[in-house]
Amino acid sequence: MSSRTTKNRTLTWSVSDIVVASVLAVASGVIFWGWNLSYHLIGNLFLFYPPVETLVHGMWLFPAVLGALVIRKPGAAIYCEMVAAAVSALLGSQWGLTVISSGFMQGLGAELIFLAVLYRRFTLETAILAGAAAGVTGGITYHWIVPMYAYAPLETIIHIACFAVSGAIIAGLLSWLATRGLAASSVLGPLASRRAHREPTFIGGAPRG
Amino acid sequence: MAHHVADDAAGIAAQVRAAPGVEVRAEAWSWQHADRDSPAVSGLDLHILPGEKVLLAGPSGAGKSTLLHGLAGVLHDEEARGSGHLLLDGRDPETARGRSGLMQQDPESQVVLSRIGDDIAFAAENLAVPRDEIWERVDVALRDVGLTQFDLEHPSAKLSGGQKQRLALAGILAMRPGLLLLDEPTANLDPQGVHQVRDAVLRVAESTGATIIVVEHRLEVWAEHMDSLIVLERGGGIRRRSPAAAILNDENLRSELTQMGLWVPGRDPMAGLPEWKPAGAGAAAEAGGAPELLLEASNLGIGRHSPRRGWHRSQPAAPSVSNIDLEIRRGESLGITGANGTGKSTLLLTLAGLLEAHSGDLSAAPGLKGAGTKGTGLNGTGEQLADDPHRWRSADLVARIGMVFQEPEHQFVRGTVREELALGAIQAKHPGSTEPLFPAAEIEARVDRLLDRLGLTALSEANPFTLSGGEKRRLSVGTVLAAGPALLMLDEPTFGQDARTFTELVSLLREHVDQGGTVVAVTHDSAFLGALQARPLELAGKIHGAAGPDQEPFGASRSSSWLGRRNALAKLIAVFLVTAALVMTIDVVSAVVVILGSLALLPLAGIRPLAFMGRIWPFAVGALVAAWGTAIAAEESGRVILDLGFTTISEGSVALGMALGARALAIVLPSVIIFSTTDPTDLADALAQQLRLPARFVLGALAAMRLLGLLAEHWKTLGYARRARGVGAHGGFAQRVRTTASQAFGLLVQAIRMATRLAVTMESRGFGAGRRTWARPARFGAADLPVMLGGLLLGSLAVWAAIATGTWNFVWT
Repeated sequence: MSSRTTKNRTLTWSVSDIVVASVLAVASGVIFWGWNLSYHLIGNLFLFYPPVETLVHGMWLFPAVLGALVIRKPGAAIYCEMVAAAVSALLGSQWGLTVISSGFMQGLGAELIFLAVLYRRFTLETAILAGAAAGVTGGITYHWIVPMYAYAPLETIIHIACFAVSGAIIAGLLSWLATRGLAASSVLGPLASRRAHREPTFIGGAPRG
Repeated sequence: MAHHVADDAAGIAAQVRAAPGVEVRAEAWSWQHADRDSPAVSGLDLHILPGEKVLLAGPSGAGKSTLLHGLAGVLHDEEARGSGHLLLDGRDPETARGRSGLMQQDPESQVVLSRIGDDIAFAAENLAVPRDEIWERVDVALRDVGLTQFDLEHPSAKLSGGQKQRLALAGILAMRPGLLLLDEPTANLDPQGVHQVRDAVLRVAESTGATIIVVEHRLEVWAEHMDSLIVLERGGGIRRRSPAAAILNDENLRSELTQMGLWVPGRDPMAGLPEWKPAGAGAAAEAGGAPELLLEASNLGIGRHSPRRGWHRSQPAAPSVSNIDLEIRRGESLGITGANGTGKSTLLLTLAGLLEAHSGDLSAAPGLKGAGTKGTGLNGTGEQLADDPHRWRSADLVARIGMVFQEPEHQFVRGTVREELALGAIQAKHPGSTEPLFPAAEIEARVDRLLDRLGLTALSEANPFTLSGGEKRRLSVGTVLAAGPALLMLDEPTFGQDARTFTELVSLLREHVDQGGTVVAVTHDSAFLGALQARPLELAGKIHGAAGPDQEPFGASRSSSWLGRRNALAKLIAVFLVTAALVMTIDVVSAVVVILGSLALLPLAGIRPLAFMGRIWPFAVGALVAAWGTAIAAEESGRVILDLGFTTISEGSVALGMALGARALAIVLPSVIIFSTTDPTDLADALAQQLRLPARFVLGALAAMRLLGLLAEHWKTLGYARRARGVGAHGGFAQRVRTTASQAFGLLVQAIRMATRLAVTMESRGFGAGRRTWARPARFGAADLPVMLGGLLLGSLAVWAAIATGTWNFVWT
């Protein structure tokens, strides 16, 4: 321990960052599993018009936004989403090995938003945009990159738009609320997000108590 | 500091090799964590000789853990402030990797990898020890900690808490450290585990001459084996340093330590409390009858898994213990004891109405339901309740049976201490209605009384998760008492608690019994049972593997089949080739080729066809849904079969849907087969060594994957806790969503807590910096070539068949 050190924020990953991100992703896998058990029938609600099924697919995007909000390091969104995807592949996923590419693409959508604010802003609108972007890139993957659907143009647009809306709310808003709750519970001590509950809600807002 | 090291680096290097024990120095050392207003340690000066055995004590908040983390070289949070020096043999702990090893309290976060051999080798790999030497060190370490009965492939998850801590010690020893830092290493263990771990540490100290620093509340475990006692002052500095023997004979010191809440050998923490006789039982005895019956179990069979046939399970689970007969009466205390894994906690959860009984009968007497007992909060309103508490609503349970979980945080669902205390009383409802049991003014009064009684008034607006360990324990009991249940269930309430919290807990429970309440506790703590004059009930069920709470849903166990023995990367490449072929085209022919090919491979994977069908049928349903979706949403082509107004189903869209459905099934089958025969550890080895993915991230993910089963256990417990708190997932969709959200948040809190401790463990074993070696090489063997060629062949065959039959339908056009 050298004299008088105050370590400043860096963008390199510490061991805590890596392990917390990994465990968050694995816990997300468990939450998916819990969600599936309780709501395996929810998909049937959309059988009348399947293109709107993506209204609940935002659930599968939350590790990307939550990971980025909690870890605040470059690559956190992509890493968390990919590890969560790998966990679901391991537990048996409907999409087989292609979850790895969709995990990457969904994480990439969220990652681009956090990159655009240079990993300095973790406000509500950033989170919502990141969730929506993850939905858009996820939708693009579904339809053009690793096509799993063959919808007509209108249905394709509806499908992707619902994905983005769901991403904004479930992955964006809920992850932002969860991060503040976690910070208020003081479990984020070793991480850069430890004061998330005292930060302003919007860019340019005043810090909270 | 840098010059300091450079000046005599050569001299110190020689010394490090020569001296087995590390010399520890602190020079005016201070440390303030990033999220704190005051330093954890300030101006500490300390000198510990090589080979000295030190017991480190101090009031809570004196920075004991901070000091150990500093010495372990894992203290470098961003935005934290430090000054002064900590030195191991004159070197900065962060540059002296491998010289010190740290063991923490929670056994689960002391294990990194899922096979015990790998776990011990982990630290040596991080220090780049050559491969042959690693395995020598692993053998020696395994012998030193007395775990030679297990082979190197034994799953670490199957060890008991005490064995896990000894495994952690072995992992530390594989670094050949000169300093052992033990942060409450036995606080979470049963008495047997405590002695196993303590003796292993002392044996190691004897044979290696390492310096030892132990922090522990229960001084009697260590006192007579240590050289010195160092007592830290809250806010910085050393309060006292004496020979460890003084703990046994210096009365002033003993009083001082007792004041700090430590367990001092030969001192009964209850000595300060007035003499106590359970009033409830006594009164009934004087009246000449047995006290009122509350809950009765006859011929009860219990088990963790639901006794019902699951929608996907062919056989209902068998009970873990059967034929339990039990009467629980008003005003008594009952202690459920027995070895690990005999189903004590399962019995408690069943009695508390949280788990369904497997067989026999569990029935609540009128006294517990509240029927006919005027004057209690329930005012004779419970007649209509079912006999079996498991069938009660969460809102009825909360006013009758309270459950205090081993981990207080499992119970926390609100943002402040006050709201947390009020919740149970708010949720309590009259049976069969949604009418509140307590008027608002009374809830307020109850909460104020509880805050006062628990000494939490000043913290009433604090977030429950931010409280100290003792405060959390008190709050967890208070939240349950708020709704006034007669029956109080507690699971290991004194685990890891200091003597002060122990005393407070006992006096709270004595009051509960005096007011006609009943206490049922699962515990290993004989002092606790004695203090409550509890009637013991020893459970002697079959022991189902000490630490084996069910990890079945995620059983990626190692497959011994032909495919199971192949290189993980080779298998991954094979699945990739097949998947790539399927992704390229949407047509029935290629899909059918892959489906048939996958089924033909089942014998190589050692999977029985019937078991396979049981596993994949949800995917088949998913494929049908995908087919239907496309039939509705695809471009109209050919004859219109059905016009729904907003969309149509046509011949073309149906054909396309069927092709997509078949393709979806074809994509999932090979990956299910391959992943069910691939162990995550092997996969990680291959990804890091052969594919050269960054080792830090691959190993981080692998260590996290080991926690999967544990997190699933947490998920279930959080669900029970929500029901016990009166916010169970009953009622409408909105309530279910709220409960699931709260459960998910609770899981994230536990996940991050575990991850933070695991990160400290990994870093203190040299993880995360510099070159590492791999104890087990991952490379292709001759038999891996057919695997990859097989993937290529099946993929090509699918493409060829589609082209040959003219169904090829390229997707990226």
